[in-house]
Amino acid sequence: MDTAFKGEHLFPGQLGQFFIVLSFGSALLAAISYYFATTDKTGLNNSWRRLGRIAYITNLASVVGIGVSLFYIIFNHLFEYHYAWEHSSKSLPVYYIISSYWEGQEGSFWLWCFWQGVLGNILIWRAKSWESPVMTVISLSQALLASMLLGIEIFGSRIGSSPFILLREAIDLRAQAPIFASRPDMYHNYLSYITDGNGLNPLLQNYWMVIHPPTLFLGFASMVVPFAYAIAGLWQKRYKEWVQPAISYALFAVMVLGTGVIMGSFWAYESLNFGGFWAWDPVENAALIPWLTLIGGVHVMIVYKNTGHSYFTATFLVLISFVLVLYASFLTRSGVLGDTSVHAFTDLGMFWHLVTDVAVFFVIAVVLVIIRWKELPIDKKEEETYSREFWMFVGAVFLALSCLQLVIVTSIPVWNKMFGTNIAPPNNPVTLYNVFQAAFAVVVALLAGVTQFLKYKKTDSGKFYITGAVYLALAVLITALVVYVSGIYRLRIVFSLTMLAAIYMVLSNIKVLTDAFKGKIKLAGSAVAHIGFALILVGAVIAAGTSKVVSINNTGEQYSAEFAKRNDPKENIMLYKNTPIKMGDYVVTYIGDSIAMPNHYFKVDYKRMDASGKVVEEFMLKPNSQANRKMGLVSSPDTKHYLLHDLYTHVTMAPIKFDDDPQNDDAHSEAEDDKNYDPPISHDIAIGDTIRYREGYIVLEGLNKNAHVENIQLAKNDIAVGAQLKIVTNGRAFTAEPVYMIKNGSMFDFSRKIDDAGLKLRFTKIDPKAGKMTIMVYQQPENRRPYIVMKAIEFPYINFFWSGTIIMVIGFVLSIRRRNKELKTVPAAPQTHKISKRPSPQQVG
Amino acid sequence: MKKSSIIGLVVIAIAIAVIIGLYSNASSYGSFADAKKASGELHVIGYLDKQKELYYDAAKDANYFSFYMKDKKGEECKVVFPGTKPQDFERSEQIVLVGEMVNGEFHASHIQMKCPSKYTQDKVDITEASAKKADI
Repeated sequence: MDTAFKGEHLFPGQLGQFFIVLSFGSALLAAISYYFATTDKTGLNNSWRRLGRIAYITNLASVVGIGVSLFYIIFNHLFEYHYAWEHSSKSLPVYYIISSYWEGQEGSFWLWCFWQGVLGNILIWRAKSWESPVMTVISLSQALLASMLLGIEIFGSRIGSSPFILLREAIDLRAQAPIFASRPDMYHNYLSYITDGNGLNPLLQNYWMVIHPPTLFLGFASMVVPFAYAIAGLWQKRYKEWVQPAISYALFAVMVLGTGVIMGSFWAYESLNFGGFWAWDPVENAALIPWLTLIGGVHVMIVYKNTGHSYFTATFLVLISFVLVLYASFLTRSGVLGDTSVHAFTDLGMFWHLVTDVAVFFVIAVVLVIIRWKELPIDKKEEETYSREFWMFVGAVFLALSCLQLVIVTSIPVWNKMFGTNIAPPNNPVTLYNVFQAAFAVVVALLAGVTQFLKYKKTDSGKFYITGAVYLALAVLITALVVYVSGIYRLRIVFSLTMLAAIYMVLSNIKVLTDAFKGKIKLAGSAVAHIGFALILVGAVIAAGTSKVVSINNTGEQYSAEFAKRNDPKENIMLYKNTPIKMGDYVVTYIGDSIAMPNHYFKVDYKRMDASGKVVEEFMLKPNSQANRKMGLVSSPDTKHYLLHDLYTHVTMAPIKFDDDPQNDDAHSEAEDDKNYDPPISHDIAIGDTIRYREGYIVLEGLNKNAHVENIQLAKNDIAVGAQLKIVTNGRAFTAEPVYMIKNGSMFDFSRKIDDAGLKLRFTKIDPKAGKMTIMVYQQPENRRPYIVMKAIEFPYINFFWSGTIIMVIGFVLSIRRRNKELKTVPAAPQTHKISKRPSPQQVG
Repeated sequence: MKKSSIIGLVVIAIAIAVIIGLYSNASSYGSFADAKKASGELHVIGYLDKQKELYYDAAKDANYFSFYMKDKKGEECKVVFPGTKPQDFERSEQIVLVGEMVNGEFHASHIQMKCPSKYTQDKVDITEASAKKADI
């Protein structure tokens, strides 16, 4: 093996690798120290805790060190490192260097580590009596995450995958380029042949790639905090206390994870990469699964805090949520999804490592619950039927069930692997998910509405039925209108029911909100969050249920009767340049291109006319495509946003050149050029005459006796005459002046092209006696003319979905502030039973 | 009956419904031979035959794309897809089709590709030009 390679910068990688090992070691030390700080009976626990703190702070510092080393490598284009070579290139703008950071698994693990490090430090500062047990769990999780980055060989198998691995270590260059095998002296200088990196996938060169992953991973990372509190509560037998401080963190986790998920949804919507705002792709489901359980968890935690009921459900949902986060990362990172998702990460051979991560925390949770089972403060007395806590509990159960459905269907490849079966995912997974999830949403949303009219403990049932019914009647009226106008009634009945439940949820929470403004201001947070969630449902049902393809195409050659019958109507239309086509309510015309490398923008003009043919609306959309050598044709849509709907235009096929091809093609000869046209047709015409051709007409308006052709000097006896032609096609007019020339007794002519009309015109002869001019018309055959194939989609009422998200986040922020305020008013002494302002006589234990 | 037992029963009933819903909707993987016998849609995994023509002519029909694929058992079949040629199709390593057999042609309603750039070890670009230049 060669010892020295020319031009390599090994120091940043070695430093980064040192930080990786340090972060793993310090996290492990923190876990051990905090463990002893929790269990020590000899009075050394303060020393252990100090050691744990030092170790955890060191951990965050080394995680930052990893980040800085990696940034240095990518920023300086050190392509001797596989990660930089694989995910970046020299032409990448600086702000996308950040994105290339987490395009790969290693970078996204780093991001997760970083957030968990930050959260751990916040807990060191804030958790007080909970610090040692909670930090034991978080440090352990941090150590497992750091181990994913190790990339060290132990007993012949590689543990983790380091971002600092060298290109020559990751890829056998000598096998790939035989020249290196035959010429060892060249291999030693291999770096001078690696001129650029692979670059970032054009689809990921998007500002959402800069902010979506950090938000999502902050959400994932913060799920560990309520989990750690639940474990600490079981471990330290502080069964009741853990709930109160954990509520704020749980709310924070669902808020951030929810925001991250919807950001992803917005990005998917904007780029149409998934075909809409939600496609139930396994990677989307993976992020949604833990969100659903923790949302249920937050609600039963509040129930427990206020009434002492639902203790086990709260513990269970909080514990399972974090295990599901780890399961989700196993699904998306292990390669197990294989054939079912194209969006999952590349398999890095860490299957068993990821399984271990899930198993460790699952086993800890199960074992602790079993050991402590008899002591758990589970309320033996049942909740009242007319009580808020009972129906909140039922709602949480249904959220967990909806999650169960997602887990079972998304995990099909896992079942196949476990049981050796060979089941394929449903042929139409979107319908299956939509129907099931809509049904769960009906129950959950109805309960989120109904419970607003119920009180904790016991409610007067008569009063409840009256208010409940009044609001239900109002909701039915509004729903009937919405369902009729939006056309949802044409879909399955379950979607109309979802709409009803969502509207009911909005109305009842508006009532709570108005009460809140009258004085019970602390209730505002949940009401706002509920309204936001209900609006998300409203938007999702209408947009997903009634989005439609506008570019319906019933033309096209019928290849076989079978094919035509099955696939009618078809969704792509073809537009020749400057040939208007009627599409739905619009007349669309592809009118030209504008190129800003590497993007090729297609200008598509939209006109909407009223009955009399008058144009009432006109706008232009510029969808673009990149013809990337590595990724093929990558298209991004352009959208016309209306208040109540969005209109998408997406180019699915276009004959454009690769982005690294030279852009001018004038080099070829005239004879070569003629092949691009149909055989010419000659016309002998006089001034004022008209030539008709396939797509319009040409008028000879006059002759220019002083025509000039650049670079050609005319002598005294030479003649140059230009034919002034006006071309009218598809409502547009062009002019052209082909030239006829006699120079030194020989005849020449200079053709003129009108690319936008697909024409080439020559002026080849003058017959002075007859006063006739010969004009040759070359017409481009249809398939040689510039064209695009595009798809247009309309998404109605999507703005409910986005505004609902914003409202929900505001609601979460209000709720977190309220819970934090409550936390401050509660004495921090252990074993406090009065954790709620309400009397709670039913508490046991 | 106690409320908790009612809820328990409801939970079990829904869990069963979820599993039945999955079973009745789940598809199966098969070969082209299986597709000829099957009545509904089926998943077929295979490889693009790069020797044969990929046919797409927008001028004739913007929603007709056909190609030849070999399934895992080596049987080759013409595949027709009602849409444009998917991005980067030629480079696909493995293809998963969802569809059914109609008169000896496989009509795919969905195509999923695995591209080498994403799923296997990347190829390093070592260009001729730079190789000459740097020859010492």
